[in-house]
Amino acid sequence: MNHSHSKYLSNFKNWAEQKRFLDFTEKDVEFLKKLHPFAIEYADSFVDQLYEHLLQFPDTKRFLSDEKTLNRLKLAQKAYFMDLTSGEYGEEYYQSRIKVGIAHQRIGLPPRVYMSTYCYYMQLIIPKIYGNPMFDVETANGVFLALHKIINLDQELAISSYIHAIDEVISRQTEEILEMSTPVIQIWDGVVAAPIIGMLDSGRTQQFMERLLEAIVETNSPVALIDITGVPQIDTATAQHLIDTINAVKLLGSQVIITGVRPVIAQTLVHLGIDLSGIITRPTMASGLKVALDKLNIKVMDNPRA
Amino acid sequence: MAIEETGENPIKNEGDIVTCRKLIRNVATTAGFGMTDVTRIVTAVSELARNVYVHAGSDGVMRWQLLYQPGKIGIQLVFEDYGKGIPDIDQAIEAGFTTAGTMGMGLSGVKRLMDEMHIQSELGIGTTITVAKWGRAK
Repeated sequence: MNHSHSKYLSNFKNWAEQKRFLDFTEKDVEFLKKLHPFAIEYADSFVDQLYEHLLQFPDTKRFLSDEKTLNRLKLAQKAYFMDLTSGEYGEEYYQSRIKVGIAHQRIGLPPRVYMSTYCYYMQLIIPKIYGNPMFDVETANGVFLALHKIINLDQELAISSYIHAIDEVISRQTEEILEMSTPVIQIWDGVVAAPIIGMLDSGRTQQFMERLLEAIVETNSPVALIDITGVPQIDTATAQHLIDTINAVKLLGSQVIITGVRPVIAQTLVHLGIDLSGIITRPTMASGLKVALDKLNIKVMDNPRA
Repeated sequence: MAIEETGENPIKNEGDIVTCRKLIRNVATTAGFGMTDVTRIVTAVSELARNVYVHAGSDGVMRWQLLYQPGKIGIQLVFEDYGKGIPDIDQAIEAGFTTAGTMGMGLSGVKRLMDEMHIQSELGIGTTITVAKWGRAK
């Protein structure tokens, strides 16, 4: 997975900035270190309690299907518990948090489970902070706030990697749709057809025009059919894109026939005052093909032996 | 699911034009408008949402509301932006007039597609275009 171009996923430098924004300072690091002995003492019990809790809900239980996974996750949680109070929050820590976020996203763990798990941890930890005879109120407050800050930093990284992953899926799909939605096919010697599905907006127009012009030259086609059966409505911007495309085709010496003009589209075009009088239009691709074949002096006949 | 009687959608980028169209297509279809009217309404939405996106140069919003009168169903759409405003409204709705290098048929077209259109614009403050379409109640 490529992280360098994401608008959601921070890099390590941004993360340092995020720490400053949160006012996460050396003082917080010192407070967190004070918790470390308790982390060592209670990690096992906390992690056991957490997983007992998670196993009570079908939503989370399904991620903990077998003993092996469960044990592996428990070990990872213990390690995280140690890391959280280790006092080391450098690049290594940062990278491990990102990895955790991506792993959670990949297995499909809902962010709400991830977030509420922290809340459950806090329930277990807070009594240990405030019930500790070694901490005066000021220290307890400091420890609590420092813990809150580091958890906030962790959550931000994990949630960002969730969003980043979704963002990647969306941009991949957008590209796929763009590729898919504008095929140009040769349907006869000298005739190419381009069925448009969906609205023709500026991004797609450019791609569509390029493909159509290339296909016309490649197949040496004097006629191109642009089928708009799959276009839900045509506004003036779409019409302009169509007219631009038609003009570009004319420059290549070929001719466009617009097919699939539905009655509804015809009515709105008239209402909009768009003049397509210089362009051959037909209600169906079949009737458009007939016009194309006539232009090429091709006659299609029934097989007399049939 | 019961149809909501009113709602809004932001217009901040080109993708929002698509969302507006989809939303209104659903609302108008569910409200009982016929195929032809739905296409007219959605085409008008496309024009006006694009206008907000292209001309306003800032955020805008589309608000919609269903209207009821005895035997009639109506839809009202308000497009609001905080852009530079329209200096001459009469000129803007003239067919063929454009400042953006486009066809210049948008506003005049919308006027023909819809039953009512009202433009309110103040230079430097913004533009509000209200349109409505009426159909027979089901």
